[in-house]
Amino acid sequence: MTSLETVTVGKSANVTDITGDDATSLRLLEMGLTPGVQVTVVNTAPLGDPLELELRGYRLSIRRNEAARVAIST
Amino acid sequence: MSSAEAPQPPVQRPVVPTDGTGRLTVALLGNPNTGKSTLFSAIAGIPTRIGNYPGVTVEEKVGQFQHRGRTIDLIDLPGTYSLTAKSPDEQVAVDVLRGQIAAVARPDCVVVVADATNLARNLYLASQALDVGLPVVVALTLADVAEKKGITVDTAALSQELGCPVIRVVAPRREGIGRLADALVEASDWPASSVPAALATQLASADPGRPAAARDAIARYAWIDGITDKVVVRQAHRPRSLNDRIDSLLTHRLWGTLVFAVTMLAIFSSIFWLAAPLMDLISAGVDTLAAAAETALPEGTLRSLVVDGIIAGVGGVVVFLPQIAILFLFVAILEGCGYLSRAAFLMDRLLVGVGLSGKSFIPLLSSFACAIPGIMAARTIENRRDRLLTILVAPLMSCSARLPVYLLLCGAFVPNIAVGVSWLRLPAVVLFAMYGIGVVVAAAVAFVLSQTVFRGPPQPFVLELPGWRWPQPAVVLERVREAAVSFLKNAGTLIMAVSIVVWALGSYPQPKLSADKAGDAAMLKGEALRQSFLGRAGRLIEPVVKPLGWDWRLGCAAVASFPAREVVLGTLGVIYNLGDVDPGEEEGASLLIRRLRAATWDGTDRKVFTLPVALSIMVFFALCAQCASTLVVIGKETGSWVWPVVTFSYMTGLAWLGAFLTYQGGTALGW
Repeated sequence: MTSLETVTVGKSANVTDITGDDATSLRLLEMGLTPGVQVTVVNTAPLGDPLELELRGYRLSIRRNEAARVAIST
Repeated sequence: MSSAEAPQPPVQRPVVPTDGTGRLTVALLGNPNTGKSTLFSAIAGIPTRIGNYPGVTVEEKVGQFQHRGRTIDLIDLPGTYSLTAKSPDEQVAVDVLRGQIAAVARPDCVVVVADATNLARNLYLASQALDVGLPVVVALTLADVAEKKGITVDTAALSQELGCPVIRVVAPRREGIGRLADALVEASDWPASSVPAALATQLASADPGRPAAARDAIARYAWIDGITDKVVVRQAHRPRSLNDRIDSLLTHRLWGTLVFAVTMLAIFSSIFWLAAPLMDLISAGVDTLAAAAETALPEGTLRSLVVDGIIAGVGGVVVFLPQIAILFLFVAILEGCGYLSRAAFLMDRLLVGVGLSGKSFIPLLSSFACAIPGIMAARTIENRRDRLLTILVAPLMSCSARLPVYLLLCGAFVPNIAVGVSWLRLPAVVLFAMYGIGVVVAAAVAFVLSQTVFRGPPQPFVLELPGWRWPQPAVVLERVREAAVSFLKNAGTLIMAVSIVVWALGSYPQPKLSADKAGDAAMLKGEALRQSFLGRAGRLIEPVVKPLGWDWRLGCAAVASFPAREVVLGTLGVIYNLGDVDPGEEEGASLLIRRLRAATWDGTDRKVFTLPVALSIMVFFALCAQCASTLVVIGKETGSWVWPVVTFSYMTGLAWLGAFLTYQGGTALGW
């Protein structure tokens, strides 16, 4: 599985799935990271983590270990 | 429905029995950063009630306004992304909407705040609100900002899709506020909103292969995508906006970090320096009041209680008001323009290593000035675990009240010799080390607690980075006012009670003075303190403080400094028979230093104060929780008396251990 964690800054991908069945996974879905949605990795924080994403017309920051749960296709 | 602004009520409109008072309760529900606070201020003005919901630390905020002859209580629910409760904040929102909190009336209607710049994600919460069994009105905020970004929302079409009124409001300019008030008064008499048919279809046809909660969320977004396709129009090729350019600068690896450092430095120094003249002013006011009370009251217990107990105790805490107001002013401005989230984004990696999160940074930084505003600033951390951890370690940051203790002891007992280079003096190195100890111990404590007591499933860090916008003055001022009022309430009640208790312990039992000791006022005062409960406590704990290199008088001074650390200097003056000296004044300080240098162990000519002893006192005060106000504020902010007790215990334990190691180590090394 390719995850959002591997996407480089400036590149976009389509979400295919969110793995896991806990509060974190549900929160990612609730924030709009649902299958089919397009996500752009806009930036990373100075130490490389967390990531700044753009999706559904807004900016969202998640940590790398959360991005690893987001399966994507490019 | 024919019009978005005044939708037709459902056909079978029930006759609503008037409840006699004409009172309505309306809940305001919305995502964070949607302009909900601005909307609240625009509708209801200054809140009439601010407190905590029973048993939890979630803030309850209620405002009141009149409209069409009805009195309306507006409940500002905590900002939440979802009604599938995962945090205490969300649980409170759900419980209020379902009428499950005994002290809070079930709302007659719920207003869902939806940010037009970010409609899809905001409709997620709206879709859940339609399902709670209450009439729903949607307030579409930030439509003006959205239009500048080339996004327009068709409110009439949106209203049709949702099956509820949608009112466009521009809260800072009060546009649409009257229509919103009309709509919520009318809607309160309607039957509950229902789940739109299209959403029900999506929910029913969701992929059964997924967990139920995930299925539900995906189905809701599928429905939302269908709506936004119809009601949201985006300009096809939007130029790179100012917003994007600001954002890429302020989150840039180099420039972003630089701007961040300068901003934090500016805030940090303003809590110190900008607040200083105001604090002096309050101090002078307190002194005037004390002098007035001194002349107005006859000599005796009452005067001592009022002057030495209440005015000195409460006055000593009220001086921190300017620091709190200034810090909250900056925090509210940063929050309002969207920078607070960027600060958390920039700092997260550093803090996550020790079990905290990026949002802990500002509370911890502020605690270097004073832990009280720092602990109060932890309100901006939504995650309960992160918030508690931040509150527990915040008092370890060396606050400005420790500085006089460090300065006096460094000046008096640390030899002023060069360390390596001529301009680097040993007292400065020791001073820096004291600040360092606090930070290192705080990191260690946070790490240990996060791995033990607070161990649990990983906390999701999903942080919205809202668009850059101008802070709303009304919201900023309201934040400052709330912080100031809640602080003054503490000072007026709990902190006053603590001051009275400490005063009583230091004044009773009344001293029995033998004839040979009479005469010298300074001697009398010292003798009175030694004979009081506080003095006896000092003697009682002598075996405990002896391994730290302290005599019983030092132990007594440490116990007596429970109200506030800086009190220790004044107490040392009294206990070594110096009388009342002001250690802040040069003359007082040099007098105190001379007296301390001359102090010997009872009945011997062995000096009390040596370098290891001075260092052990400093380390003790760097790590101890001798600050009653901080403990009171921790109790208030966490809504439980467990946490101040925990804080006091662990900090006192660490302080003793640190002082012990310092003294024993220093002595072994022959300092």
